[in-house]
Amino acid sequence: MSPRRIDDVAVLGVGMTRFGIFPERSNAELAREAGLAALADANLSFRDVGEAFVGYIFGGTMTGIRAMKEFGLTGLPATHVENASATGLVAFRDAVWAVASGRCEVAMALGFDKMSAAMTAAGRGQGRDSIDGVILPAAYFSLWAMRRMHERGTRPEHFARIAAKNWNHGAKNPWSDRQADHLVTPEEVLASRKIAEPVTAMMTCPVDDGAACAIVGSRALARRLRPGRPVVSVLASVLQTETYRPGHIFLGPVVGPPSMSRDTAREAYEQAGIGPSDVSVAYCHDAFANEELEYYELLGFCPEGDAEKLVEEGATQLGGRIPFNSDGGLIARGHPGGPTGLAQIHEAALQLRGEAGPRQVPDARVALAHLVGGGSVCTVSLLARERA
Amino acid sequence: MKVPIEAGYFTIPEDPSEKPRLLGSRCRSCGEHFFPRRVVCARCLERDTEEVPLGPHGTLYTWTYVHFPLLGSKRVEHGGYAVGQIDLPEGPRVQSVLSGGPDQFRIGMPMELELETLRENREGEEVVIFRFRPEATQ
Repeated sequence: MSPRRIDDVAVLGVGMTRFGIFPERSNAELAREAGLAALADANLSFRDVGEAFVGYIFGGTMTGIRAMKEFGLTGLPATHVENASATGLVAFRDAVWAVASGRCEVAMALGFDKMSAAMTAAGRGQGRDSIDGVILPAAYFSLWAMRRMHERGTRPEHFARIAAKNWNHGAKNPWSDRQADHLVTPEEVLASRKIAEPVTAMMTCPVDDGAACAIVGSRALARRLRPGRPVVSVLASVLQTETYRPGHIFLGPVVGPPSMSRDTAREAYEQAGIGPSDVSVAYCHDAFANEELEYYELLGFCPEGDAEKLVEEGATQLGGRIPFNSDGGLIARGHPGGPTGLAQIHEAALQLRGEAGPRQVPDARVALAHLVGGGSVCTVSLLARERA
Repeated sequence: MKVPIEAGYFTIPEDPSEKPRLLGSRCRSCGEHFFPRRVVCARCLERDTEEVPLGPHGTLYTWTYVHFPLLGSKRVEHGGYAVGQIDLPEGPRVQSVLSGGPDQFRIGMPMELELETLRENREGEEVVIFRFRPEATQ
């Protein structure tokens, strides 16, 4: 088999569990539900899968290989992927390039995690009692928010509006963990429990369990398997680590320099041969609401310093110029870890196929998925509905 | 007797009138400074660094106050704690726990390194770690 161009790779099928806390469900059970849903969506059997990339953060050694046995034992090569919050989207990139390189016809990217179990076990780390101690993740993103407020005059209300938007998007998504029974207001977000200045509880993602899966193969195969259904092709899928710049923080848990998101997005746009103005809907690492505001600029959707204006105009809500996190994002849909990026691909594929129901972005043509993983990495994928 | 939580990150002066310093590296090839110490320069990738003391003064680049107790600390004040990033005059930015309440910080203020006792070890020594505090104003 000869190598393909990346844009000859298509998302054949997607599947996921609802995200939430499921003490009675194992990783393997969650993975089975998501994987079988993706195979059914692709109209494929597990026997057709040539290679698998399995992402999780909190399971032990070989947890992914054990979960794969839920689908059958076909001898396929499988690789574990771990890149913190970015894990699932990085597994997707590996699957895409396994097909693009000609190594296999069909590849599976599978992610799962039970963050709820990790939070009650050893996941809290040593805290203060180590030189690079793990402190609350919210603290590190709040440091970014406080600096933004100092430099740009951003107000907590801006962050609250983003969080409320994502809560309200999540209420339209059956796979979302958080499904509020009322319209969430910025005032409600601001009044929720203070976590770390200026971030409140409703501006942060929940602790979640869940699984998600994407199957990729050639566009020709996509047309053959699902005749008449719009083909979701992959325009770009890139991964970067940090690039050194003065002021880099080396010790302690870090979120990575903001420039990492700008650099990674730029590489993705170049690979795809498109720009931000071509994107119809975007997904980003909104573990904390202030991050999403920064990514409006870093992903190129407005000039530096204009992100607050985007919030004030409502440009990033459903119905706006560039909807962000139409499925609720990490804040509402949830963030188990391993499957998070594949939940983004799930929603992006539904949007591009016109199957997103009450969340549908009219005439969605191009979707962007972005995640960062603390430590740090950034990954960006661009998907498109095949040009007719 | 004070011992560091991990060797090689900061000094513990024997004379109490002396100030503790952070331990970093300076690249002999390009002059860039780093905290903590490193063998390979992250800027020019040359393997020619030397150990240098850094600080103990800096300016506050950003901060936050976490409204939860600090895991692993036996000396929790106010039920929460401050975290910040401090720019050292030599160049490195250091992330650290800060001592003080939520109303004591503003971006750009001068900060000073201090040592904090975490616990006693089995030998009865005080295990210390570094943090920053607002510089005392006259």
